[in-house]
Amino acid sequence: MRTRRGTVFVYFALLVWTLVVVAPLFWMVTTSFKEKIDVFLGPKFLPGVDFTPTSRWWTRIFTVERDTLLRPYANSLITAGTSSFLATVLGALAAYALTRFRFKFGPMKNEDILFWIVSQRIMPPIIVVFAIFLMFRVTRLLDTHAGLILVYIVFNLPLAVWIMSNFLSQIPPSVEEAAMVDGASPATTFFRVVVPMILPSLTATFLLCFVFAWNEFLFALILTYTRAQTMPLLIAAQHFQRGPQWWDISALSTLAVLPPIVITVALQKYFVKGLIPIGK
Amino acid sequence: MIGKSARRQGRAFLTPTVILLLCFTIFPLLFTLALVFGEAKFDEGGLRIGLVGLRNWTRLVHDARFWNAFSVTIRIVVAAVTLEYLLGLGLALLLDRKIRGRGIFRILFLIPMMLTPIAVGYMWRMIFDVGRGPITGILQRLGLPAVGWLTETRLAIYSIIITDVWQWTPFMFLILFAGLQAIPRDYVEAAKVDGASAWQLFRRVTFPLLAPASIAAVLLRGMEGFKIVDTIYIMTGGGPGRSTESLTLFGYSIGFRAFDLAYGATIAFSLFLAVMVGAIVFVTLSRRFRYVRLE
Repeated sequence: MRTRRGTVFVYFALLVWTLVVVAPLFWMVTTSFKEKIDVFLGPKFLPGVDFTPTSRWWTRIFTVERDTLLRPYANSLITAGTSSFLATVLGALAAYALTRFRFKFGPMKNEDILFWIVSQRIMPPIIVVFAIFLMFRVTRLLDTHAGLILVYIVFNLPLAVWIMSNFLSQIPPSVEEAAMVDGASPATTFFRVVVPMILPSLTATFLLCFVFAWNEFLFALILTYTRAQTMPLLIAAQHFQRGPQWWDISALSTLAVLPPIVITVALQKYFVKGLIPIGK
Repeated sequence: MIGKSARRQGRAFLTPTVILLLCFTIFPLLFTLALVFGEAKFDEGGLRIGLVGLRNWTRLVHDARFWNAFSVTIRIVVAAVTLEYLLGLGLALLLDRKIRGRGIFRILFLIPMMLTPIAVGYMWRMIFDVGRGPITGILQRLGLPAVGWLTETRLAIYSIIITDVWQWTPFMFLILFAGLQAIPRDYVEAAKVDGASAWQLFRRVTFPLLAPASIAAVLLRGMEGFKIVDTIYIMTGGGPGRSTESLTLFGYSIGFRAFDLAYGATIAFSLFLAVMVGAIVFVTLSRRFRYVRLE
């Protein structure tokens, strides 16, 4: 019964890793339901068993401290949402151009242009942030939504172009050619014929870009102060200002990771199919 | 076939992307390149940049804090990427079969890489906390002494590596799992018919066929790993001492805390060079490795 024992081992290993993934998250979520004393008097693990859960901190976030604590989340929503929408649209347009037309800029052909765009992702943000900081200082874009949105569009464009060009290259151009023959311009063809076909892929790309923008820290740290401050900055600032107020910050962190978790579940189909095709 | 106006529209589709990238990555890169040979001063007339030749670079080469940050970054990348690859490969192999609950495991295993690094860093900071953290609690219940995961100079870097492994093993898993799915079943079946053991199957068939996915996964993760800053920022702030200060964190504190833009840019540029050199070395080595394997 070698296979039987094999199966037991496989499940055991899978469950161990599940525990590794879930336990830290469990700790964070439960901590947001602890009284101060349950935090300070050494570790308590099980709600209802070794401590009584309280929803006090959650209530406070949504009532008394709503204006101070939830505004960075609104900022994150605005900047991540707007920038991801624009990055997806611009990325899809560029990907469409690169998969349907033949370009030649000097020695660069389509594949070279695509590689050039995608490779921008490699660049460490800290390199470009010096110039962007000074540019924004002159154009008064520091600490504004518009500034951060611009940066996040650029930050996500390589990814959007890459994913969209993979999706678009799988679509046979016959339908579009029919539309083109009927005299439709590329713009009409793209928005009337192609976009409806690729709407699910566009949504997936948007959601993925959204997560990256939602999570981004370094640009936000350098380019925003108060008005446009985003959620990761709030968490870091709370931590440094208030010290070990675990209950509050756990609640804020839980709120931060909820959208990415929902999006991961929503995107699972794409992840499995290989959102990122390697070595085709 | 395609008319002139259609071609012009096609070019118009591409233009915004190219312009944005030129404005916000290529121009800033060139600007940083200029800064590394200059000095930036703020006075009443605004910002002034003067050329100073190689002064920033001589300062960099003689700066012990730079070499420390360089070594910290390399150590984190090498250790974390190795562990992430091995664990990701293991998980991908475990799930590469028909078992119940496969879909649920797959989602669960992917989740950490999508989470906000600052929140993840804070979560692990609580877990590693020496006074109130769960690890201390478990150790105490077992009668073992508490360990200062984040407060001992020697240990803090391991805590950072563990956090990175928790968050980014899913990325390796994602790519290697997709790679495994793409291996034609015929090869595996043929090897089985020839009586290959599980280990032989892995060494002679699966692993070589997985090489492109492996190389891509390690390369992408490695290049991302060099940029590490969020988790360190919130878990240790680079400390204790400077034992966990990465290159990005060092560049940030010089450039935007001490406001020495030119030297900060020099540090950032050295990070860029390190990423490029690391990537080239890795790709060269992996080519040779693949050649030997498939001989």
